[in-house]
Amino acid sequence: MTNNNEKTEYWRWLEYKKVMPNKDWKKAKIITAGVDVGSVGSKAVIMLDGEIYAWSVMRTGSNSSDSAKKALGWAMEDTGLTLEDFHYIVGTGYGRVNVPMANRAITEIACHAKGANYIWGPTVRTVLDVGGQDVKAIKIDENGKVVSFLMNDKCAAGTGRGMEVIADLLKIPIEDVGKESLRVNEEPEPVSSTCVVFAKTEAVGLLRKGWTKEKVIAAYVRAMAIRMSDLIEKVGCEKDFVITGGQSKNIGIVKRVENILGVKRLPVPNLKETGLDPVSAGAIGAALFAKALYEKSLKQ
Amino acid sequence: MASEIEKGTKYIPEMAQTEIDDLNKSIKTASLKVIEDNIERMKKAWKNRPQAMEYFDEISNLFGKRQEEIKQQKTAGKKVVGYSCIFAPIEMILAADAIPVRVGSGWYDTAKLGDRIMPVEICPVIRSTVGAKMVSLSPFLELSDAIVMPLTCDGRTKLSEILADYKPIWHMNPPRVKDDPHTLGMWKQEIMVIKEKIEKLTGNKITRKNLKEAIEKMQQATKAFRRLQDLRKGNPVINGRDAMLVNQTSLWDDVERWTQKVNELCDELEKRVEQKEHSTYPDTPRVMLTGTPMIWPDSWKVPNLIEESNPQGLVVVDEQCSGDRILYDPVGVDEWTMSDMLDAISERYLMACTCPCFTSEHGNEDRINWIIDRIKEYKVDGVIYYVVRGCILYAMEYQRIKRVLDKMNIPVYYLDTEYTREDVGQMKTRVEAFLEMLEARMDI
Ligand code: SF4
Ligand code: SF4
Repeated sequence: MTNNNEKTEYWRWLEYKKVMPNKDWKKAKIITAGVDVGSVGSKAVIMLDGEIYAWSVMRTGSNSSDSAKKALGWAMEDTGLTLEDFHYIVGTGYGRVNVPMANRAITEIACHAKGANYIWGPTVRTVLDVGGQDVKAIKIDENGKVVSFLMNDKCAAGTGRGMEVIADLLKIPIEDVGKESLRVNEEPEPVSSTCVVFAKTEAVGLLRKGWTKEKVIAAYVRAMAIRMSDLIEKVGCEKDFVITGGQSKNIGIVKRVENILGVKRLPVPNLKETGLDPVSAGAIGAALFAKALYEKSLKQ
Repeated sequence: MASEIEKGTKYIPEMAQTEIDDLNKSIKTASLKVIEDNIERMKKAWKNRPQAMEYFDEISNLFGKRQEEIKQQKTAGKKVVGYSCIFAPIEMILAADAIPVRVGSGWYDTAKLGDRIMPVEICPVIRSTVGAKMVSLSPFLELSDAIVMPLTCDGRTKLSEILADYKPIWHMNPPRVKDDPHTLGMWKQEIMVIKEKIEKLTGNKITRKNLKEAIEKMQQATKAFRRLQDLRKGNPVINGRDAMLVNQTSLWDDVERWTQKVNELCDELEKRVEQKEHSTYPDTPRVMLTGTPMIWPDSWKVPNLIEESNPQGLVVVDEQCSGDRILYDPVGVDEWTMSDMLDAISERYLMACTCPCFTSEHGNEDRINWIIDRIKEYKVDGVIYYVVRGCILYAMEYQRIKRVLDKMNIPVYYLDTEYTREDVGQMKTRVEAFLEMLEARMDI
């Protein structure tokens, strides 16, 4: 995006970060971090003895390794932590091999599974992770281990990136896309294209036909929700069901997936107090793996 | 009867010779790079790669030594019989002193070329073979005097028509049901027709003597192959990719020399078993491959991903007609009479084949049993079910095989892809996540 005029950048979502006020890293035995470099967002989570201490969620830039550094740097800001203080760092996400300070890379599939288990507890069996450029349906056991998984074709549609494109096209701020998509009285036919480039053309056509913005966005979001639900049904939807990744915030997606599957997802915890952010599930899982791997290395 | 089809109505439209030459040159250069890169990667993954592997590296060059040899032998009067699929009775080709070579294409770049005239729904193995023909890329296809084309799947059936514009095509009609009382008889007739055609092409009669020799030659190859396979059952002394390459080169190499080289390799590897000199960590998750044939060089994308992944996987066995199925079964003869030998050949090429083009009351149960047995013998931790888009038979059979494996508590992952390099990043995530899953299970 070259346009610097903030008002026209509807796709631009808010970055956020936090450090837990009443925790002291100097007292911690094991300090770990998970850095999840996705195609749209980069997330960093710092843990003290397996508990969340600080986190950040930022947009991924053109360079994965810079994005990884920035995200972790932002989470570390004002804590006094330096990179030397970490015992172990795990990189995950699509840019996982380009996390320069990581001791090891683990796929986002394993990390989201582990993160979901941490956020919601051992009853979670099915995780839908909607990231920036792909969707994953993951079946997990009571320990947060992956039992099986499916991933959609590489295609930006129905994912964070696709939503950004459509938000820009329809001039709806990205945070409102889900809400706006629910403002229709009746569900329109879903758009037929599964590819974001064609979906965009199709959306333009519908606007020309006189469809309202809400109706177009509803048609788009619905198409995506159908595809996601197909993926979950293929992997087999078992309760408890949760949604992670950037699109877990898109209420239009969430409501429709729930309707199609006839299952409600577990509610999202209070982020501000706990740091249990479904968007950061991958980074949380990575930070937990980092702790486990560090402990394993001590034993050897 | 003279064909009524005009010359201009071939499947492949005429192309300017300069365009053909340019494309041929650029794709060949790219392919040589892929071959080199694959070998480099195999070497890198296995520091102390046995000396005997060098031979197979050399033979793996599709535009190299082997092509020259065949050319020379052809000039000296030998005939070359290509075949598209492992239903072709190799022993008979050898008996008539002809050279058998497999002609299926593994080039991604020629699949793109094939796209110009083939719809995208067609599997890329076919599109790529068509593309290779468009620019005369495949040395073995070009050198073939005739091509045996078993009509197994729809793609291959129509491919035979396309190739028939350039080469004599010898169709074979494998029955779709193996175990009906009359099917073996039908198949034997197909084999007899091929026998006659081979004799006519080469001018050599297939006799009791030369057929026996050919069968014995192939039995030796099978023995060497099994010796190598046995070495893959224990702690790793050879990486999967290397064993796969060894097995696949048997499709175009001189079979006697190949056998000797495999035995030399096994001598080296057996020493390594004693010395516990492993090609990778013994606790590496053990992976079985099944599904669509993985044809050298471009389809090495998949084993490269598996064995270079973090955590790493080790391919210990496959159920593919590009690999462990080629030489698994010898032709078993009781009495060396002509009729017994022909019976044994018919049986070997029909009954032992586990291709998904077969069905029965219980589905393609031979394939399922083959997979189950191999999983036990090779202590497989997980199965990667590889399918290229458009390959209906393998895609459809997945569901049943998955359910069988679920019952055995063996994880299986459906890895679908195309003849393209663009999805490597995404496939890497999928393969790694599957291997992480296997590793996590082993931790328990
Ligand atoms: S899968 Fe079957 S039809 Fe295809 S090449 Fe192999 S044996 Fe032949
Ligand atoms: S069996 Fe599958 S991969 Fe082989 S030619 Fe037929 S469709 Fe293609």
